[in-house]
Amino acid sequence: MDVSMFRTVAAAGFAAVIAAILLHFIVSKPKFDDVFGKDRGLRILDPLRLVVFLKTLLFIEQKWSLVGVLRKLVFLLAILCFVVLVITGFTPMIFLGKSITGWWLMIHATAAPVFAACVAILAVLWADKNRLDKSYCPLLNRILDRNPKSTVAPEKHELKLRICFWAILTMSLPVILSAVVSMFPIFGTHGQEVLLQIHRYSTLLLSLFAIIYLYLAALTEMNRIAAK
Amino acid sequence: MRNGLLAKSLFLVVVLATGIADGVEAKLGDTPDGSRSNFVHLIPLLAEPVAGKEPDQIHPDSDPVLPFSTKQTCGACHSYDKISDGWHFNAIDPNVNLGRKGQPWIFADPTSATQIPLSYRKWPGTFRPEQIGLTPMAFLQSFGRQMPGGGIGEMVDKSDNPEEVLKSEVTGKLEINCLACHDGNPEMDMGGASGYAIQVILRGNYRWAATASCEFAYVTGSVKGLPNEYDFRAPFTSGDSKLKPPVVAYRKEAFGHNDWAGFDIRREPPKQRCYFCHSNIDVQDGKTEKWFRDEDVHIASGLICADCHRNGLDHNITRGYAVESRDSNNPLTTISSCEGCHLGKNGEKPVAGRFAAPTPKHAGIPPSHFDKLSCTACHSGPWPANETIRTKTARAHALGIAGASKEGEILPHLLYPVFAKGQDGKIGVFKLFWPAYWATMSEGNVTPLAMETVKSATSRVITRTAFSKTGSWPDLKDEDIVKILTALGEKVDAGVKSVYVTGGKLYSLDAGGKLVSADSKMAEPYMWPIAHDIRPAAQSLGVRNCQDCHTTNSPFLFGLVSVDSPLKNLTAKEMVAFEKLPRCYTRAFAFSFVFRPWLKVVAILSSLVIMGVLVLYALKALGFVAKVVVGDEK
Repeated sequence: MDVSMFRTVAAAGFAAVIAAILLHFIVSKPKFDDVFGKDRGLRILDPLRLVVFLKTLLFIEQKWSLVGVLRKLVFLLAILCFVVLVITGFTPMIFLGKSITGWWLMIHATAAPVFAACVAILAVLWADKNRLDKSYCPLLNRILDRNPKSTVAPEKHELKLRICFWAILTMSLPVILSAVVSMFPIFGTHGQEVLLQIHRYSTLLLSLFAIIYLYLAALTEMNRIAAK
Repeated sequence: MRNGLLAKSLFLVVVLATGIADGVEAKLGDTPDGSRSNFVHLIPLLAEPVAGKEPDQIHPDSDPVLPFSTKQTCGACHSYDKISDGWHFNAIDPNVNLGRKGQPWIFADPTSATQIPLSYRKWPGTFRPEQIGLTPMAFLQSFGRQMPGGGIGEMVDKSDNPEEVLKSEVTGKLEINCLACHDGNPEMDMGGASGYAIQVILRGNYRWAATASCEFAYVTGSVKGLPNEYDFRAPFTSGDSKLKPPVVAYRKEAFGHNDWAGFDIRREPPKQRCYFCHSNIDVQDGKTEKWFRDEDVHIASGLICADCHRNGLDHNITRGYAVESRDSNNPLTTISSCEGCHLGKNGEKPVAGRFAAPTPKHAGIPPSHFDKLSCTACHSGPWPANETIRTKTARAHALGIAGASKEGEILPHLLYPVFAKGQDGKIGVFKLFWPAYWATMSEGNVTPLAMETVKSATSRVITRTAFSKTGSWPDLKDEDIVKILTALGEKVDAGVKSVYVTGGKLYSLDAGGKLVSADSKMAEPYMWPIAHDIRPAAQSLGVRNCQDCHTTNSPFLFGLVSVDSPLKNLTAKEMVAFEKLPRCYTRAFAFSFVFRPWLKVVAILSSLVIMGVLVLYALKALGFVAKVVVGDEK
C-alpha cells in the first residue's frame, strides 16, 4: 500500500503543530523568572533539568483518595503509552517511509491496549470536569441571551484544553475500533485498507490534539506556579 | 513416382495458401482464422527427406514403412523454426531470459549416492549436464522420456563426441513431438511399453519416437548396435539376428483418401498431455496412491492447463507467476497469474473474473500479508504438517512410464511444502532437494566430477550389499566417504581437493585424512517455487484464524524441513530459516497471538466506555442546547 501520501500529511501535521507551539511559546512569553528565579543562570538550559521540569508540569494535582491516586497514575501511564505509540507508529512511517512492522509493531501492539484502557478510565474520571459549562464566549451568550449559572471565570487556555480533551476522546474511538475491527474476519482487503487509513489519519489527529493538550496543560501549570 | 506427385501437390497447396507478412513467410497454419471449432487434421504423413530433396509422403504399405517427421508433417503448415523458440524447447538457447527458477532435471544415482540438479538454463544452483559428463545423447537417455523433443534433442549431431555424431545418423534427431501436447486421442502413447519414452531412453530411436507416440502407429526394434552406415530408408539386412532395426507399422484404417492420415489435434492440449510431464504425487507411507489426493481446484472446476498457460505460434507459454511480464513478452502474462484472474488489478481495463474466477474477500487478513506472501503460500500444495513430506514428480521420477519404479523412497528425494522467500522477495511454497554429488574444490570453487570418474571410485566402496531395494540412498558411513574421497583424490590434479556435497554440508579430508564437514553455498538445497496443486479457498492457510500460521509451533513458521542425505543423524532445519525471517522476533510475534483475544477484549470494552461517555455528555449537551434554544435555562 502506498504510504507516501500519509507520510507527507503526517510530517506536515507534526511540523505545523510543533512550529505553532514554538511560536505560541515565544509569543506568550512565559514567566521563567517567576518559576525558576532570576538567578537561574544556565540551569534552565540543563537538558535533564528541563526534561524533569516539563514532566513535573504534567503531574496533575494529587488528591489523597483512591480515585485521585488512580487518576494520576492512569494519566501518567496514558502519557507514557502515548509517547511509545507515537514513536513506534510514526517513526518508521515518517523517517523510513515504511509501514510499521517488526519489533516496532510488537511494542506498538503492546502499548495500544493499555493506552485504550487509560483513555477509557480518564474519560470516566475527567468527563465531568471537562464540561463546557462556563462563560467562555460572552458574545455567544449575548446572542443566545443566556446567563450562565457558573460565574467562575475560566482560566487561560481552559477552553482549548477542554476542546482538546473531547477531541482526543472522540478520535480515540476510530483509532481503537479501526484497529480492533480489522482483527475480525469482517472486512475484506479493500475494507482492511480503508480501516488502516482510518487508523492512520485518526491517530494523526489524536496525536496532534494530544500534543496541543499536553503543551497547554504544561503551560497552564507553569503559569499557575508563576502566579503563586 | 506416386510419392513425388503427391508431395508436389501438397506443396502447391501449401504455397498457394502461404501468405507473406512483414517480410516473414507465414505458413498455412500459422495464422488462425478465428474459428473456435476444432480444425480437422487430415494430412499426408511426410518422412525426413534426403538432404536437398523434398520429403516423401508415407504410405502404410511402403517397404520399409518410414516414420513420419513432425518437422516435415506438421512443419508443412506450421513454422517449425518459430515453434522451436518456445519455452519447452529453448533451454539450450543462452539468449533466452531465464525467468523464475524452475524444476531442474535431477540426475539421481543411488549406486554413487548422487542427486544433482542439471539444466541447460543457467538457473542458480544448477549444473550443466556436460559438467558431470553427460553428452546430448546421454542426457536424452536419462531425461528424453519426458522432453517433448527439440532443443538438445536436435543437437545430437553437434556433440563433442565424434562417435555420437556418427551415431546420430542412425538414431536421427529427436524432433519436437507436436503430438506430445496436441494429440487429443486417448490412445496416444507417451509412456507405454513401446511408446515415446521407451523409444527415447531404452531404444535410442529418436527418429521414430514421435511416430511411436502416435495412436495409429507401432514401432518395434531398436537402433542399438546398428552399424553407422545403417539407412532407415533402405531395407536392412544383416547376418546378426540380434540386430532388430526399428520397424514401423501403421494402422491402415487411419489412412483415408490419398493415404492422408487423420490426427485428433487439439489447439489447447488436454490436461492428460500436460500431466505426462507435470504430474506430482505425495509419498505417504512409502506409497504414491493418487486416489488419496484431489486434483488442483482449477482442474476440478473444469479448467484445463492451457486455459491459463497459453501461447501463440511462438510457443512462448505463460508460466503464470506474478512478475512474469518482466521476463516474457507474452502479452497474456499479466492476466494469466493468480492476481490476473482473481483480482485483475494490473490491466487498464477490468480483467478479473476470467473463467468465472471468484474475487477473494480475504476477510480479516491484513493487507501487509499481500506484500510479504505470494498467493501460493496460503493456497498451494498440501496443508503444511510439522515436517515436510516426500513427493514425486513426473520429470524427476519418470512417472507414467512403463517399468518405472513405483517405490516411494526412490531417489531423488524431493521435499515439500517448504515455505521460503522467493526471487520476487515474497514467501511462497517450494519443492526442495538437497544436492548430493562428488566434486573437486579448488580455491573455494566446487566443480562436480564426471560420473564416469565418480563411478570408478564409488563402485569399489558402495557395493551391492549397501544398495537399497527401494532405490533410496545406499547405506553409507563416514569411513565409506573417506575411502571414496581418498580414491577420488588419486584421480584429480595435485592441489585440487576431492569433496562430497550432501545434506547441506561439504565433506572433505583434512591433512590427517580425517573427514571434516563445513557449510558451503554449493551445498545449499535447490528449491523451486510451486503453484499446483491449488487447494480450495476453504482449505487455504488463515481460513480458520490467524493461528493457522501465528503460533509458536505452526508448521508455516516453525515446521521442520528434513535434511536428506545418505548420512544419518542430520538435524532438520526450521522453516523460518528458509523464509529469511529473524527467528527470535518471529517466535515472539507468534507468541504474542496468545494475548490477541485479551487485546480485543480490552480494546472493545474501552471503546464501549468511551462511546458511553461521549454519548452521555453529547445527550447532556443536546439537552442543554435545547433548553437554551427555547429559553428555559434555569
